[in-house]
Amino acid sequence: MKIQHLAMASVPIQTWGQIYDNQTALKKGTIFQELDMPFFAADDGGMSGCCCQVSDTADPNQREREEKMLQIYQVCFAADDLRLYLDTHPQDMQALDLLKSMLAQRKQLLKEFAQRFFPLTMDCMEELYQAGTGEDCYCWQEGPMPWEGACV
Amino acid sequence: MWTYEKRLQFPVKITKTCPKTAQLIISQYGGPDGELSASMRYLSQRYTMPVKAVGGLLTDIGTEELAHMEMICAMVYQLTRHLTVEEAKTAGFDAYYIDHTAALWPQAAAGVPYTALEFQSKGDALADLTEDLAAEQKARTVYDNLLRMITDPEVREPLKFLRAREIVHFQRFGEALEKTKEKLNEKNYYFYNPEFDKHMIIRE
Repeated sequence: MKIQHLAMASVPIQTWGQIYDNQTALKKGTIFQELDMPFFAADDGGMSGCCCQVSDTADPNQREREEKMLQIYQVCFAADDLRLYLDTHPQDMQALDLLKSMLAQRKQLLKEFAQRFFPLTMDCMEELYQAGTGEDCYCWQEGPMPWEGACV
Repeated sequence: MWTYEKRLQFPVKITKTCPKTAQLIISQYGGPDGELSASMRYLSQRYTMPVKAVGGLLTDIGTEELAHMEMICAMVYQLTRHLTVEEAKTAGFDAYYIDHTAALWPQAAAGVPYTALEFQSKGDALADLTEDLAAEQKARTVYDNLLRMITDPEVREPLKFLRAREIVHFQRFGEALEKTKEKLNEKNYYFYNPEFDKHMIIRE
């Protein structure tokens, strides 16, 4: 960090350090271990993780959907956090390599989810039509609305 | 331009009705340090930022704040979707119920409506980024306060996630401030306004 100056705020620039795996990162709210600074009142004996696991359902279809959706949450969140890091560290090749990997996984997961269940984006709809699997379906309204809490 | 992705940023699945909790959490929708304020603040400030990468960061964080607003709304909705009028009466949700039934409307916990007066877009990068740093801290305090009062793990998990994001955003805004300072005269950062006196800024 450069010399600090009077009458000016200063925050040290983060350097690349230890990274959480995608599952842990989503629960913690960051992929960066150094930025994980919990509040004592929120420290209720570790993460219950109740929101980041599939429900106890007997329905295999529902279970598969929740598992796939959870993977989407995890991979996309890692990409979100990496993107903000790269916005201020565009030269960091380790971060860039990881972002590339997350973006590729994201694309594949969204594609699989659309084929098996319903599309989450307009691009996923287009892929369905290209593959000839969704030709007679305007599938945009399929599946529960995100705020219903039904699909993880 | 924005496109919608049909999912939340973090899963919200609340099974217990609790209008009291909804009334507290709604502050992060329309309150002074809420996600709507945060999003509008960053998405307003970005146009005149003198450093391109900082405008990009404000766009990305402003967009993430929209997703946080959606999470907060989903929480309020799930906490009140099976609300009975008796529950509304007893849990201090009655005044809100009269005006909005169980619909979503941006207000603070104390009932003050959302207003653009809650944030600034000052046209001075140092002033705006310093406000952004403070905004993340204030939002973090709200989540601290909510976590002290709320015990339901289904509500706490998304709140903890949102609190963690405030800390990450603070770090990024700090880095954005450092990037902006690099373009200024370090002997006197206040010699001119980089958003207005563009001819004086240090070239790349």
